[in-house]
Amino acid sequence: MQFLQSVHIDYISKRKKAYFISISLLIIGIVSYIVRGGPNYGIDFKGGTSILIEFEKTITTQDIRDALIPAGYGNSEIKSFGTQNQYIIYIGQQKELSASEMVGQIQQAISASITDVPYEILETDSVGPKIGQELRKAMVMAILIALLLMLIYIGWRFEFVFAVGAVIALFHDVLITLGIFILLNYELSLKEIAAFLTIVGYSMNDTIIVYDRIRENLKIYRSDDLNVILNRSINTTMSRTVITSLTTFVVVLSLFIFGSEVIKGFAFVMLVGIIIGTYSSIFVASPVVFEWQMRHGGRQKLKMAKKKR
Amino acid sequence: MRGKNLFKTIFIIALVVWALYALWPTYKLQTLTTDESEQLDEEGRLVSLRNKAIRMGLDLQGGMYLTYEVDLPQLVEQLARNKDDQLISILQKTREELNVSTENFLDILERCFEEEEIPLNRYWGERGDSDSKVLDELRNEAIEAVDRSLQKLRNRIDQFGVSEPSIQKVRDRRILIELPGVSNPDDAKALIGRTALLEFKLLKDNEVFTKVIDDIDKALARSRGVVIEAELPDTTEVVTVEEVVEQKESNDEVISVNELFGEEEILTTESEEADTALLVDREIFEENPFIALLRDTRQAGKLVSVPIENIKAVDKILEREDIQSLIPPDAQFLWSSETFRIGDQEYRELFIVNNEAELTGRYITDARVTIGSDVQSAGMPEVNFALNRSGATIFSRVTGANLNKRLAIVLDNRVVSAPNIQTKIPDGRGRITGIGEMDEAQMLAIVLRVGALDAPIQIVEERTVGPSLGRDSITRGQYSIIIGMIIVILFMMVYYRMAGVIANFALIFNLVLLMAVLAQFGFVLTLPGVAGIVLTIGMAVDANVLVFERIREELRTGKTVRASIDAGYSRAFKAIFDANVTTLLTALVLYQFGTGPVKGFAVTLSIGVIISMFTALVVTRVIFDYITSRRVLTKLSI
Repeated sequence: MQFLQSVHIDYISKRKKAYFISISLLIIGIVSYIVRGGPNYGIDFKGGTSILIEFEKTITTQDIRDALIPAGYGNSEIKSFGTQNQYIIYIGQQKELSASEMVGQIQQAISASITDVPYEILETDSVGPKIGQELRKAMVMAILIALLLMLIYIGWRFEFVFAVGAVIALFHDVLITLGIFILLNYELSLKEIAAFLTIVGYSMNDTIIVYDRIRENLKIYRSDDLNVILNRSINTTMSRTVITSLTTFVVVLSLFIFGSEVIKGFAFVMLVGIIIGTYSSIFVASPVVFEWQMRHGGRQKLKMAKKKR
Repeated sequence: MRGKNLFKTIFIIALVVWALYALWPTYKLQTLTTDESEQLDEEGRLVSLRNKAIRMGLDLQGGMYLTYEVDLPQLVEQLARNKDDQLISILQKTREELNVSTENFLDILERCFEEEEIPLNRYWGERGDSDSKVLDELRNEAIEAVDRSLQKLRNRIDQFGVSEPSIQKVRDRRILIELPGVSNPDDAKALIGRTALLEFKLLKDNEVFTKVIDDIDKALARSRGVVIEAELPDTTEVVTVEEVVEQKESNDEVISVNELFGEEEILTTESEEADTALLVDREIFEENPFIALLRDTRQAGKLVSVPIENIKAVDKILEREDIQSLIPPDAQFLWSSETFRIGDQEYRELFIVNNEAELTGRYITDARVTIGSDVQSAGMPEVNFALNRSGATIFSRVTGANLNKRLAIVLDNRVVSAPNIQTKIPDGRGRITGIGEMDEAQMLAIVLRVGALDAPIQIVEERTVGPSLGRDSITRGQYSIIIGMIIVILFMMVYYRMAGVIANFALIFNLVLLMAVLAQFGFVLTLPGVAGIVLTIGMAVDANVLVFERIREELRTGKTVRASIDAGYSRAFKAIFDANVTTLLTALVLYQFGTGPVKGFAVTLSIGVIISMFTALVVTRVIFDYITSRRVLTKLSI
């Protein structure tokens, strides 16, 4: 069985349409960023205390709130989590009480008020304000360093112009995925950052496969125009791109559907990232190389590249 | 060619054998019945089995994760030659800045001193030392203090008996503690978090106590605008501590804190009503606002106590500068460590003791829990301690010189007990009673044996995961791995037929090897780590797909099967290599910046990527070679 065996699509001439799509997606991301006032930071980044609690029977957030009011936690953020009567109670930063004292108070309050439904505290997290701030800084650093490493590695293994194309594609992927992530109001915590970094690696992976073919084709088809070579490279690697994306997408989808509730946000980032990453390695990374070469010295420079390697 | 493949085949078979051997303990552990595991535990083999199996992160097996920060401002304050008001105020400023900024403490300290134009050598180091020299010294002190604290915490936790704890230093001044399987945060924190500074302080005489309380009472009444003298005909008649005994509980009513502090001074906690309500006797409150907060509890064998509702208010009053000046400079107020009840009301005892400690826990050589045998303390846990020789000398002198006085045993600024000194104690042995629960006594004994920390430590991050959440994560992780794998395997078989079967074999081999590496080298498997495994499955086939697509391309150009396979592998290599290196680079960055669970993800992802390169380039190649070497194929099932 084979598909996409002999496609002959002219991606380079369609690049304007691709730019339009990309820019629209970016704008959606920016708008949702502005409307929502930034990502919905999880406990890791905003600090405070959160308690994950599971009740044996169905219960409403109002029941929990009513139970917490006498203890003075009536204005906590309470939301349902997953499907199995699980709830997250979030309390902002408190100066005077330690996390376990707070958890103790909340436990008492719930036991006193909701007497007929047994419950279990599944998880508690308490993060000081400074830790959150530091983590945020560290994560931004991590993503930037990862991007920088990519830039250096591609610049070393390929031509500089490829590095530019790859890194623009990476920014493109991370920003659009983040935009959609914010739009759908997922919570951003450390695990999701890990997913974003994985997207960086994954999308890079895809892009390199195409670039590798361009590198090879530049040697073989010396007289062809750059856009012909780019199109041919994208087309011949197309079936691989699609198959790998598909298998990866499917396993992550299985993680998203069957995996633990805690890992859902992570899987979501990956799902979106795989789609966007695949798209960008076809419609963004190579067209950027083309665009750059057209403006800065045409085909001349890349011909030199051929001689060097 | 043959010889090379023979070598590769032997290598691969050896790997399989090793992998199965490495995974055996994990398999064994997973399939143990409760009876079997109890039996193994008795024989003492369960621990070694656990050590050899794949280690689960706290998010999978449940447990506690605590990050402590050493209180460096406190440490440098202790190190200072003289602790004047200026130093205290500068340190207060650094403390505030430290809470909001991510800057290094010593940098902040340096800046604050520069702003005040005070040389650091006024407080630390030798006179005439440059700021940078003093800072270097302080830095070393800080590093040593953190290291010593780490060591002491490790000893405490070891003696407490948590299995496989992880205690490590992070970012200079933080200590990260992971306690698998511990689900009671309070117990663990009582053990770890306390400084455990033990001091023996003499109690002030009752007359002093009474006078100080009266002084505070008057000052407070005055500041509330009530002039006692004017209202009382006889100015000598003031309410004393003893008089409070007459007040009946039934007279108590609940007032708000604002009533005590007046309009302008409102407690600025994000407080609830329950926090600001005070329990006072309305009749005496107007004239004796401070005494109204206290109770005589001699019926319970305690002199003066405070209903717990009033403790915050009393603290608040005692902190006030005008009140501070009324307390003799050689005295201080301390609370009891335990609360007690009379009827429904809960109280905490209040003491006034000498500022200067007669003796500290530094001299303790041993501490053990015993059960009290006196009439009073029968059946109650107590801690017996032994002092070293110089400690014994001091103790002997102190007890000899203060017969019939009370000596408070103070732990971290809370009075554990305050026994009467009945005889001179010459042998350096003593006993601490009034501890409460057995657990508490055991922890006290541990911290006394191990010794106090150089500086207090504070929790900056605390996470607990219950065991059931971890179990749920594992089951669902297994589910998603199995389902994801079945889909990928089916797809590969349908799409690449025989070659797909080979790739599937490589995929399963990949997974087994990945788990074996985790088990053998003691890497920790976390929940994101499980996600990393899932992702590896998806990406592992990538290398095979690349090779297969290349082989198909070569076949299309009319090459023979053998030549196509050779060309396919060699041409795909560069792309596979470059693509995987970038993934490895991001995993490396993640490992560097991430915390525990995220590190786990970086680990499984990197191992998965490396192994998948090996399986796709070497293992499948050997199989292809084996098939094509037996007979010349004209058609390849790919």
